[in-house]
Amino acid sequence: MARIRMSRRVLMLSAAVFAALPAMAQDITLTFANWATAEATTRDGMEQVIARFEEANPGIRIDSQAIAFPEIGRQMVLRIRSGNPPDVAQIAGNDTFLLAASGGLQALDDYAGETLATLKPGSYAPFQTEKGLVAMPWNQAPAGFWFSRDILKGAGLDPDNPPATIEDLNAAMAKVKEAYPDIIVLGMDTTNRAFSLQSNWPWMRAFGALPIGEGATGADTPEMKAYLGWMRMLAQEGYIDPGRKIGEFRPLIAQGQVAFLWDQVLVQGVIQNASGIDDATFNAQFGVAPMPAGALGSGYSFEGGHQLVMFDKSAQKDAAWKFINYLATDEAAAKLYTVDTNRSIPPAASFADPELAASLDTPVIEAFSTSIIPTITPEPFGPDFATAATAIMAGVQEAVTSDRPIDDIAADIQSQLDR
Amino acid sequence: MRPGAAKKAHLSRPMRGRAPLLDGMVVPTLIVLALIIGYPVVSTLMLSVQQYDLINDAAPSYVGMRNFSDIASDQIFWTAVKNTLIYTFGTVFVAAFLGAAMALMLENLNGPFGNAARAIVVSPWAVPFVVVAFLFRFIYMQKGGVLNAVLMHLGIIEAPIPWLNDSDLALPAIIVANIWTTTPFFFLLVASSLSGIPDAVLESARVDRAGTWATLYHIKLPYMRNPLVIGSLLMIIANFNDFAKVWVMTQGGPGFSTTTLVVYVYRMAFENFRLGYASALGVIWLILLLVTAALYFRLLRGRD
Repeated sequence: MARIRMSRRVLMLSAAVFAALPAMAQDITLTFANWATAEATTRDGMEQVIARFEEANPGIRIDSQAIAFPEIGRQMVLRIRSGNPPDVAQIAGNDTFLLAASGGLQALDDYAGETLATLKPGSYAPFQTEKGLVAMPWNQAPAGFWFSRDILKGAGLDPDNPPATIEDLNAAMAKVKEAYPDIIVLGMDTTNRAFSLQSNWPWMRAFGALPIGEGATGADTPEMKAYLGWMRMLAQEGYIDPGRKIGEFRPLIAQGQVAFLWDQVLVQGVIQNASGIDDATFNAQFGVAPMPAGALGSGYSFEGGHQLVMFDKSAQKDAAWKFINYLATDEAAAKLYTVDTNRSIPPAASFADPELAASLDTPVIEAFSTSIIPTITPEPFGPDFATAATAIMAGVQEAVTSDRPIDDIAADIQSQLDR
Repeated sequence: MRPGAAKKAHLSRPMRGRAPLLDGMVVPTLIVLALIIGYPVVSTLMLSVQQYDLINDAAPSYVGMRNFSDIASDQIFWTAVKNTLIYTFGTVFVAAFLGAAMALMLENLNGPFGNAARAIVVSPWAVPFVVVAFLFRFIYMQKGGVLNAVLMHLGIIEAPIPWLNDSDLALPAIIVANIWTTTPFFFLLVASSLSGIPDAVLESARVDRAGTWATLYHIKLPYMRNPLVIGSLLMIIANFNDFAKVWVMTQGGPGFSTTTLVVYVYRMAFENFRLGYASALGVIWLILLLVTAALYFRLLRGRD
C-alpha cells in the first residue's frame, strides 16, 4: 500500500516537473555587469531594483555581476575581445566611448526611439555618435563646487556666497587656511587616471586651456601653463592634498575636514550617510555652486553620470532593452535607486509621480539644474583619452609635487601627446 | 684504469639504469610546461612585432621592429628602467643586509624573549603585499599620516612632508615599505643557514681562540653566502615583477617618478590597450631578467 502511495507521489511530482519545463525553458537570464552592487552604499538599493524588475517580468532573471568601478571598463574591453561580454553593463565616462570604439556595443536607436522624447535632450545627446546611440543615460551626476558653510563662516567669509571667480577663490582659500591650518582647503582629484582628467578638464577649460580634442591648442600654451602654475600654487600653499582619489575626500568633508570640494551631485548622499544628518541640517551646513569663473569669464562642469549599454553579442536583446528601459525610465526604479540610493538626477524630463518630483525639489538639485548643468563642457572622450590622461595628469602631478619649471613640464606633456 | 676510463664510466653510469618508459613519463610534464610557460612567451614574442590595439577593430598587423625602436626613444621607458633598477636593487641589498644583521644579532638569543623577537621580525613577511601598500600609504599621508604626526610631535619636522607626493621622495618611501616586508625573508634564510653550522666547527674556532669578527668572517659568512645569493636572485625577480605596492601607493606617480617597468607595461596593456607595444616592453623586461639570472647563476657557480 505504501509502495503504491509512493509511486503516485513520484508520478505527480514528475507531471508537475514536466508541466513546468516549457515555462522554465522560456526563462531568460540576463547578465548585468555593474559596480552598483560592488559598493556598500548602493548595493541594497540596486538589489531591490533588480528584485522588483524580476517580479514585474517573471520570465527574466538578472545575473548581477559586481565589478569595481575602476575595473569595469577594462574588463568589458577584454570580455568583448574574448567574445563573452555580458548582456548589459553599467558604464561611465570615457569607458562608454572606449567600448563604443571597440565595436562591441549594440546601437540603441531602434529600441529607444520613442523613449528619448521623454528624456532631457542634454542627457542623451553626448551618446549619439556616428555609430548611433551607443548608451542609454541612467542618471546625471554633474560636478559642482561644494562648500562647507560652517568653515566659511569660521574663516570670516559669507557662507551663502561662495567664491565666484578664481581670484575670489584664491583669496577665500588664503583666509580658510589662516583660520583652519589643519584642514584640506580644496579637495580635488590629482591622481593619474582617466577619471582625474575628466574631473580636472573643467578647471583647465576655466583657464582657457584645451590640450586635446576638437580644436585643441595643445599643452605647451600660455593657458595650460597658467593652469599648471595655479595647481602648483595650490600645493605650495598647502590648499590641496595631492594623491587622494576623489572618493577619499567625501568622508572628510562630512567630518568637517574639507572646506571646498570639486565633486559630483552624489556627494550629498555620501555626507548624509556618513554623518546621519537630515536634509535640513545638510542644507544648513553645506551648499553647492558653479565652478568659480576663470580667465574666460566662465566656470565649467563635467557630466559624471552613469549609462547603460547593451552588447551586440547579447542573444536576448529585447529582454536586455526591457531591463535598460526599466532602470533608466521607470519612476519607481528612479526613486528607489537613482534618487534615494545614488543621489543623482534621473534623465527624465518630467515625472508623473508627485512624490518623485518632490524628492527632486531640493536646493542642491535646484542649484545643479539651474546654474551648474548649463556649464557642462564636453570632454574629449575617445580611444586616445586614456593615453592623453596619463600624459596630462603626470604633468599635473609633476607641477604639483616638484619644482621643475612649468615651461618644461608643459613641453613634456606636449611631446608625449605627440607620440 | 686507462686514462679517460673514469670519465667514461661516470658518463655511462646514469644511462645504465635508464628505462625508456620512465623517460617517456616526463613528456606530460613537458607538454604542460610548454602550454603554461611556452605559449605565453611565444605569444608575447609574436605580439611584440605587431601593432595590436584592443580597442581597434583592425586585426593585428606586422610592424617588424617598430615597437622596439619606439621604445628606444620613449623617455618614460628609460625612466621606468631606472626606477625598476633602483627599486629592485635598493630593496634587495638593504633588506639582505638588515636580514643578515638581525639573524646574527638574534642567533644566540634563546628562551621566550628570543622566540618573541624572532616572531616580531618575521611577522611583516606574513602581511599580504596589498595590505602592506595600504598600510604604508596611510602611514605616509601628508595630512593625517602617522609618520608626519610622530615626526612633528618629536619636533624633527615643522610641517608635514608629502612622502608619496614629492617626486624625489616617493620612490625611496616605497622602497622603505618594500624593505620592511622583504627583510624577514632574508632573516629566515640567514637564520636557517646559521643554525646549520656544525657545533664542532664553531667549537674548534673557539678552541683556536678566534674572535667574534674572525668567526663571522671565516666561518659564518661562507655558510651564509649561498643562501644570500639564491635569496637575492629570488627577490630580484620578485621585485622586478612587483606591481601591487607601487600601484596601490602611487600608481607610478607623481609624474612618472615611481613608474616601474611592470607598472608601465600594465598602463600600456590595460589602460591604453596597446598590446603590441606592451608585449615589446615585456620582451625587454624578460631579457633583463634572464640576463640578471644568468649573471647570478654564474656568480653562484664560480663560488662553488
